[in-house]
Amino acid sequence: MKPSLLTDHPFGADYAKRLGVPAWNGALPGPKVEEWRFTPLRALTKVSFTPATGVGFDTLPRNIPMIAGAARLVLVNGAYRKTLSTVDLGKGVEVTHGKVAAKEGSSLIALNAAYAPESLVIHVTAKVKKLIHIISIGASGAEPAALHPRITVTAESGAEITLVESHVGLPGQTYFSNPVTSITVGAGATVRRYVSVDEDSAAFHLATSLVKVAGGGTFEAFHLGLGGALVRQEIRVALTGENANVRLNGAYALDGTSHHDFTTLMDHAFPNCTSSQVFKGVVDGESHGVYQGRIHVARDAQKTDARQVHKALFLARGPAIDCKPELEIYADDVQCAHGAATGEIDENQLFYLRSRGIDDATARGLLIEGFLADAMAEIHHEGMRELFTADVTRWLKARRT
Amino acid sequence: MSLLEIKNLHASVAGKEILKGVNLTLEPGEVHAIMGPNGTGKSTLSNVIAGREGYEVTKGGVLLDGKDILAMEPDERARAGIFLAFQYPVEIPGVTTSAFLKTALNAKRRAEGKSEIDAMEFMKLVKKKTEALGMPYDMIKRALNVGFSGGEKKRAEVLQMTMLEPRVAILDETDSGLDIDALRVVSEGVNSLRAPDRAFLVITHYQRLLDYIVPDHVHVLANGRIAASGGKELALELEAEGYAKYLNAAA
Ligand SMILES: Nc1ncnc2c1ncn2[C@@H]1O[C@H](COP(=O)(O)OP(=O)(O)OP(=O)(O)O)[C@@H](O)[C@H]1O
Ligand SMILES: [Mg+2]
Repeated sequence: MKPSLLTDHPFGADYAKRLGVPAWNGALPGPKVEEWRFTPLRALTKVSFTPATGVGFDTLPRNIPMIAGAARLVLVNGAYRKTLSTVDLGKGVEVTHGKVAAKEGSSLIALNAAYAPESLVIHVTAKVKKLIHIISIGASGAEPAALHPRITVTAESGAEITLVESHVGLPGQTYFSNPVTSITVGAGATVRRYVSVDEDSAAFHLATSLVKVAGGGTFEAFHLGLGGALVRQEIRVALTGENANVRLNGAYALDGTSHHDFTTLMDHAFPNCTSSQVFKGVVDGESHGVYQGRIHVARDAQKTDARQVHKALFLARGPAIDCKPELEIYADDVQCAHGAATGEIDENQLFYLRSRGIDDATARGLLIEGFLADAMAEIHHEGMRELFTADVTRWLKARRT
Repeated sequence: MSLLEIKNLHASVAGKEILKGVNLTLEPGEVHAIMGPNGTGKSTLSNVIAGREGYEVTKGGVLLDGKDILAMEPDERARAGIFLAFQYPVEIPGVTTSAFLKTALNAKRRAEGKSEIDAMEFMKLVKKKTEALGMPYDMIKRALNVGFSGGEKKRAEVLQMTMLEPRVAILDETDSGLDIDALRVVSEGVNSLRAPDRAFLVITHYQRLLDYIVPDHVHVLANGRIAASGGKELALELEAEGYAKYLNAAA
């Protein structure tokens, strides 16, 4: 047997015994797995995690972001906490929770399936105005906890919903969050999903999103990456009917030794669909940003319009960026494009701003926000655009002090 | 005390000496015009005063209110009252003109010990200033200078100047790219700022601008030095005769 991270991964027999479940006999992806080449999990395997148990707090900790007017669904260590959540969501949306069937697909999904306490199940049957805000909190006890949040969203045909996910943790703790989110966008339905990963600086977060968009459906997503030691947001989207439209965007701002990986798969199987991706990031300190975007256009998916662009701005000499676009196109009548660029702050622009009396740090802040602006503009929900922009501004302020 | 004093200024770019001993004094309330052939160092002089990197001052000084500003950061100089309307304004994608104006204005107010301007007051001020310059108000919602036409960029420079009310304003070819009407409107904008405690350094290639912004003094910059100075009639003379005489004399 070739050596794998299985041999010393932290989710073996002992872990299972403590949970009282069958041991997970998979392996975490090792450095030889192409898709994980830029995001090695060595650091993760060095931590001895404990199965996360219900941590007792009955009011939300203060660092948890709130959205006024939104319905709140709170997961603590992956488990739904009714007492911290909004129970009455109004018409057109129903939330239940229960055990989900194991699903294969990747080792992380299998790991999640083995240990997820249950799934949060959101069922949307009409156009829902109210934002649904899912807050996943990682809270270790004395020992580092592993949590496996599971979220399942189904939007029936013609339904519409806006979901916000905040992934955060109690400060100063090492934990490993392994969320798996399945989203089904029905025919002509619209799902908007705005994800913010702002984990504690010692936390691991490896998220997998599996999205299916039926004919005429619209999926608009934005993924913000701010905090966390080792973060990966892997989003796999399948367009499963004609005239589906997907806009998958993101922005990140990293410092210290933070590592964020955005890995996307856009799977075009039907004709006349469009997908676009804009990812932009700023990197400081010795951080590491990764964007891997794969677009697959099947032979029958004629008239596909698929685009992706990734741009990164270096704020220091220390950070690294890996960008890997992969276009696999088997149809002949398609429009596909990808673009990638990295750069630094433009000295001419900086001088121009400073010549108007704006100090160096503020001027750089303006230019950084300006750099991210066209990615942020992809957030069509105005309130969320403002909230995420404010998060970036906060990051900039913290960086300055 | 003189407002701005440029004393025996020598400056090099990329190892090449461009300014070779410039002497120029601006008294409060005065308007000085600088004319001179292409590549003679007019923009270099403005950039050195504004504090752009890449210019090495090898000798001499620039004094504002008797204090040398050459050791100051560009933003400190601006807050002290220096303003440069750029020959080539820079496009800043993603930063709206309005956010930029507000940040710049607040930087100045903070330096003066004032509180930040409130949103309503800011809007009113911008409305007034844009109207005076014949600019559509909506322009400030656009990214700074991005996609602005040549003339619009120059107007935007003057808008910034009228909002920031500097003590010394350097206009580097603000007239180039302006149509005939814009030239008049922009000049009016400049003239409206003329004040006993403010001075202007107007760099231009065309005598025409000086019909609108009437200078107290006109200088010829040639071969890195002020080769001649005079009243506004000097501009007319240059228009008629060109620079040959000064280039030969200085060579
Ligand atoms: N970064 C640089 N590297 C090399 N040479 C430079 C640089 N900047 C300016 N110069 C040179 O310095 C000289 C003076 O340029 P400057 O822009 O000051 O001229 P100017 O008088 O403003 O001309 P114009 O009337 O055409 O605007 C020119 O020969 C120019 O090529
Ligand atoms: Mg010039």
